[in-house]
Amino acid sequence: MELTITAFWVFSALAVLSAVGVVFFRNIIYAVLSLISALVMISGLFFAMGAELIGALQIIIYAVAIVVFYVLVISTVPEFKGKAFESKYILISLPVGFLIFLELAFVSLYGAWKSNTGIFTPEVISEVSNVKAVATVLFTKYLFPFEVASLILLVAMIGSIIIGKKDHVIDEEAKS
Amino acid sequence: MVPYEYYVALSGLLMVLGLIGVAVRRNIIALLLSTELMLNAVNIAFVAFDMKLADVSGQVFVFFILTIAAAEAAVGLGLIMAIYRLRKDVDTETLTELKN
Repeated sequence: MELTITAFWVFSALAVLSAVGVVFFRNIIYAVLSLISALVMISGLFFAMGAELIGALQIIIYAVAIVVFYVLVISTVPEFKGKAFESKYILISLPVGFLIFLELAFVSLYGAWKSNTGIFTPEVISEVSNVKAVATVLFTKYLFPFEVASLILLVAMIGSIIIGKKDHVIDEEAKS
Repeated sequence: MVPYEYYVALSGLLMVLGLIGVAVRRNIIALLLSTELMLNAVNIAFVAFDMKLADVSGQVFVFFILTIAAAEAAVGLGLIMAIYRLRKDVDTETLTELKN
């Protein structure tokens, strides 16, 4: 059996198991831990698909930076009292979700994907590396969206600081 | 090589799991975790179509999705902190000020 086939089945099975854990663990800490597992497995899938840069960024940004956000907020917000699930929504959403999955799988297996193929065939990718190919496209064709992405990060940073600020700080500034 | 349809089907499965998580959970932080799952499903689909079409534009878009996910996590968790400070609760069933 070829190595990528083994990698696909192992990583995808573990990713789906971890995703089920994210959805159905009652304790939120366990859900975050299985989210880390799912992210690392998806990064392994990216490596198996030959997208090394995206796999590395997935680990660095998602599995480290974003999950640290979640852990900090969970440590601030204490335990969650009350039911973890809404039982009537489980009964509705499981069959509906299964139907949506069947639809997506049908479309992906039998849909006719007609599109222009790009120039980065595996021969070209093996000559220039994946990182160089992605960086070339990112900094030439998509340079303006790249700059807009930095602006989005700045706006999100300022917005989260203002939203997360305590209220009495604003009151003190208003009084003085 | 694994055919790309398997990757797209896996992406659909993860997407549906995230959707079920958004519908089912009552903790707001768990809703955001399910949203991250759905974003990752989209990432898998992008890279799978890249593999099929011999292009790298999808990986560039995955890069942008990572950026948007970081911004979404920052703003969403800031909102959760504000809601918790206001109400001492993160249960979606009790957040009914906008109802009626």
